[in-house]
Amino acid sequence: MQKMTLRKIIIIPVYNEEENIERTVESIQKNALDFDYIIINDCSTDHTRKICEENGFNVINLPINLGIGGAVQTGYRYAYEQGYDVAVQVDGDGQHDPKFLEKMAVYLQENGVDMVIGSRFIEKKGFQSSAARRIGISFFSILIKILTGKKITDPTSGLRMVGRNVMDIFSKDYPRDYPEPESVVAILRRNLKVKEIPVIMHERAGGVSSISFKNSVYYMIKVTFAILIERIRKY
Amino acid sequence: MMDIKIQLIIGVIVVLALAVIVNMIRKKRLELRYALAWLLVGISILILDCFPYLIDWMAEQFGIADPVNMLFFLGFCFSLMIIFVLTVAVSRMSIRIKQMAQEIALHEKG
Repeated sequence: MQKMTLRKIIIIPVYNEEENIERTVESIQKNALDFDYIIINDCSTDHTRKICEENGFNVINLPINLGIGGAVQTGYRYAYEQGYDVAVQVDGDGQHDPKFLEKMAVYLQENGVDMVIGSRFIEKKGFQSSAARRIGISFFSILIKILTGKKITDPTSGLRMVGRNVMDIFSKDYPRDYPEPESVVAILRRNLKVKEIPVIMHERAGGVSSISFKNSVYYMIKVTFAILIERIRKY
Repeated sequence: MMDIKIQLIIGVIVVLALAVIVNMIRKKRLELRYALAWLLVGISILILDCFPYLIDWMAEQFGIADPVNMLFFLGFCFSLMIIFVLTVAVSRMSIRIKQMAQEIALHEKG
């Protein structure tokens, strides 16, 4: 397959990101020239929709709030139906640097892997998240290692690039909330290849994270159960 | 002290119920976010059933004469809690369906 002919798209799920969305799209247009993009506005209650429409951004507005999983899945469906070869998820809050997308795309093609994850914890550079979150993340990392035998250093990373086969799987079946660790396990369980490459992430520029302290207990329990149950699914 | 017979009966029922729930989640007929409460309740009851002195102690605190009644009382409270959470979920869904229907109708109108 020739490198130049691949059609690539960036999926940007947003919820109340009026402070960040313009910057994110500008950065993509400057640093990821080969990529198209689609914003999935998950029924934001602020001016996200207005800002997208005034700027003529390519946006899908969901009529009800579906949560991060449902929004991202909408993006995968769009990408698959529009015939894209590669889709990558980039969060709308400015944490993910589009500079790394080209590198991820080259890695995906040259190594024939099905999913490339941008990991903060390989070179340990840039924003490393809080200590409490890192403990949670390494817990999932160890759990995944035990259950699948594969080492994923950053299973909660939202920066992930996939080919058409995974796009197809995700557009049919993607977890509703806190989807990242669970969906990695679902891909590993299908014996598809997942690799990580080092990236540098930024602290979010504005707005609030989807995982507050209040939700973190629920998050840990739900994702642990989800991964365990994913392990006993048959494909 | 709880009778070993009732302990066994409760244990078997809870384990079977948990197996059914996990299997349904596995086959994607049940969403984990809604099933989570059932799983946690099942596991809690199983723990209390396996360590009956916990139940004895709680029954004493509550002034309940027969410890097994403490277990039934807890089960009843858990059930009410789950039913209430489901009522909240149903309300939320009916609002969302209304919103979506209106959106589609407005869309059709252009």
